[in-house]
Amino acid sequence: MDGTGFLRFDDVSICLGGREILSPTSFEVARGEFVCIVGPSGCGKTTLLRAASGLVKASAGAILRSGKPVAEPSREVAFVFQDYGRALLPWRSVAGNVSLALEAAGIVTADRPPRIDDVLGKVGLAKHAHKFPAQLSGGMQQRAQIARCLAQKPELMMMDEPFGALDALTRQGLQDELSRLVRDDGLTVLFVTHDLEEAIYLGDRVIALQANPGPGRPSLARMIDVRIERPRDQLTTKEHPEFLRLRRELFAFIEQGHD
Amino acid sequence: MTEHVVVVRAAAPPEARRRTHGWLALLRPWAFPFVLLGLYEAYARRAAALGSEALAPPSAALKALATAAADGSLWQATGFTLGTAAIGLLLGAVLGVSLGIALGLSRRAARLSLLSIEVLRPVPSVALIPLAMLMFGFGVRMELAIVAFATFWPMLILVQSAVQQVEPRLLEVSRVLGLSARQRAWKIVLPAVVPRLFVALRLGVAVALVVAVTVEIAANPNGMGYAMMIAQQSFDPALMLGWLGWIGGVGFVINAAMLRLQRAVARRMGAAP
Amino acid sequence: MNERLGDWLGSVGVLAALVAMWWVASSAGWVSRVFLPTPQATLASLAEGLNLGGGGNGELLSFTLATVSRMLLGWLLASLFGVLLGAAIGVSPGVRAWVQPTLEFIRPLPASALLPLAISIFGLNPAMVLFVVAFGAMWPVLLATVHGFAAVEPRLSEVARCLQMPRAAFVWKIGLPNAMPDILAGMRLSMTISLIVAVVGEMIASQSGLGQAILLAARAFRASELFAGIVLLGLIGFTSNALLSIAEKKLLRWQQP
Repeated sequence: MDGTGFLRFDDVSICLGGREILSPTSFEVARGEFVCIVGPSGCGKTTLLRAASGLVKASAGAILRSGKPVAEPSREVAFVFQDYGRALLPWRSVAGNVSLALEAAGIVTADRPPRIDDVLGKVGLAKHAHKFPAQLSGGMQQRAQIARCLAQKPELMMMDEPFGALDALTRQGLQDELSRLVRDDGLTVLFVTHDLEEAIYLGDRVIALQANPGPGRPSLARMIDVRIERPRDQLTTKEHPEFLRLRRELFAFIEQGHD
Repeated sequence: MTEHVVVVRAAAPPEARRRTHGWLALLRPWAFPFVLLGLYEAYARRAAALGSEALAPPSAALKALATAAADGSLWQATGFTLGTAAIGLLLGAVLGVSLGIALGLSRRAARLSLLSIEVLRPVPSVALIPLAMLMFGFGVRMELAIVAFATFWPMLILVQSAVQQVEPRLLEVSRVLGLSARQRAWKIVLPAVVPRLFVALRLGVAVALVVAVTVEIAANPNGMGYAMMIAQQSFDPALMLGWLGWIGGVGFVINAAMLRLQRAVARRMGAAP
Repeated sequence: MNERLGDWLGSVGVLAALVAMWWVASSAGWVSRVFLPTPQATLASLAEGLNLGGGGNGELLSFTLATVSRMLLGWLLASLFGVLLGAAIGVSPGVRAWVQPTLEFIRPLPASALLPLAISIFGLNPAMVLFVVAFGAMWPVLLATVHGFAAVEPRLSEVARCLQMPRAAFVWKIGLPNAMPDILAGMRLSMTISLIVAVVGEMIASQSGLGQAILLAARAFRASELFAGIVLLGLIGFTSNALLSIAEKKLLRWQQP
């Protein structure tokens, strides 16, 4: 690590409610990298993500983005929430929700429609632009949220278990769509999930956190590189020997943490 | 005379912070009204000194209330209003709950009676005051008739919807378990309805009080509302304001008590409070 | 389709049966005609009072207009001030913490209880009644608005922070639409209170309107006029509620799945 990473965590620890959720943790994320964070409940992966986006303040250490400390949320960092239903404005259509990001950025009314259409096309919601969230399925709602995040033209995309509330088939479809989007736009992504296979499938690197950190037991327990070539495929990649090896390694590690 | 030994403990900083928070939480609700009343007291004293017949300072209102309490008129009027409201509510609730349960259990009956209910319900209860006056004269019967009419409708609607919204999954469970109709009504429908029954009751109490006082202000020469009107007509602003505050206080206490009851029932029955 | 039609006819039938019972009870004298006029007498009073056939005195029409205009004007004022004040209070958790307990104390107070105070300050005139109507009807809207602004989904607040939305934009684009369902429900309750206070105000302040009309009719034992007035008041209540419900559905279209 040469210290010029795009996003850098320097001995970041986070305490909430008097408890240390995350012990001092350090790592770097390079531009264009897709980093997945896994771990059992309570290991602080969501908290880590929220701290990186400025929604939560770190108790100690520093989080630096392009060398500057992260203090407040910024439009350059998009955040995709797990409970998509609650993160969309129910009184605006899909197009209206995407427009919110553009309005916040001060884009002139006339310039908005082409950008909205572009982003809706990318997530495959072009035909549903005028529907309200209540009329959409879970997968479509999450895509709408992703579309709004893309409209921000972010440097960095934080995703907090975005597909956790969806059924398996929808999840697989969205995983591939996301991979394609990220590759096409060259996005840097921090992706939290509890699904080990998803983490290995999507990520360039997987960071495993463990719960109840203490002396001799740091939060950041494992960091593995996923050296499987892209584009990846739901069938063949999951039978790739490297995939299976990483899967076994991570599985064993998570099991250890679960006594 | 007992001797009190006061033990003073040096509190650790976090505890002290929590204790201040406790004080703040206790006193804060009173700060704003206290300031308002204080300002009004100053203003009203000046107005009274200039001979105003409309305004009186809160201190004078309290004194007037105390006098009314001492000579019994406070309790008599309050008793009338609360008693009449209670009887009217009892009547309206019994009728409303019975019909509500019947209509809730039979979708057909509910659909058939919908039009009649929608035609009769919008009549404002105060519109019936002159009719009740005509039929019963002044007094208890006239007021409780109007309270009964006013509370009948919300009880009917809320109980009907509560019965209709018994978790269908539970009804399926009762079929699978082979419960008889009576067992189903007693073990599933009734307990499921009880929390919302108490919500309806709380609303009914609020409506009963408001309607009773309104009837007394408009027509009935009895009770708290009338006492307030008389005070105004006798150019006794202190007593009038005293009654206004008393009516507000009584209403607040009763509503708060009903809210507690409703929440306790919900907790006991495992429903969302 | 046939079942729907059958149900509709059935419910009309139930209503017709009730009217028939009314007719029998009154015509046969089971209930004295002093208290319960026949349906046809009520209808005749209505026709005459509304000047439907020409040749009537049309009094009821002017009374109805007086009551309705009092109710509507008071309701509009109440809604306007209720929303503005409610938004100002609801938007800031600090202000809410200090002021909310006082609001909760005022909530159970009957609006009509302010009439004596208003009479001693303003005297017996239309402005006094309008003031009490507006003031009394303001509270449901105010309380509903405070609640609507206070209960913003925390996720949406975070989205606004992530998008770096300025406070004013947040209140206008998220706070207000979020509060809309509560505000509209409050306005509906407000309308009911406006009607009630308008009627009571007319009764005790001797202001021209349906309230005074039915009071005088009762005192003069003119039951059919009394009932005509009650019917009209019921109609006003029904129509205002129906119109508001339609408006609410239109404005809250996004709630339908």
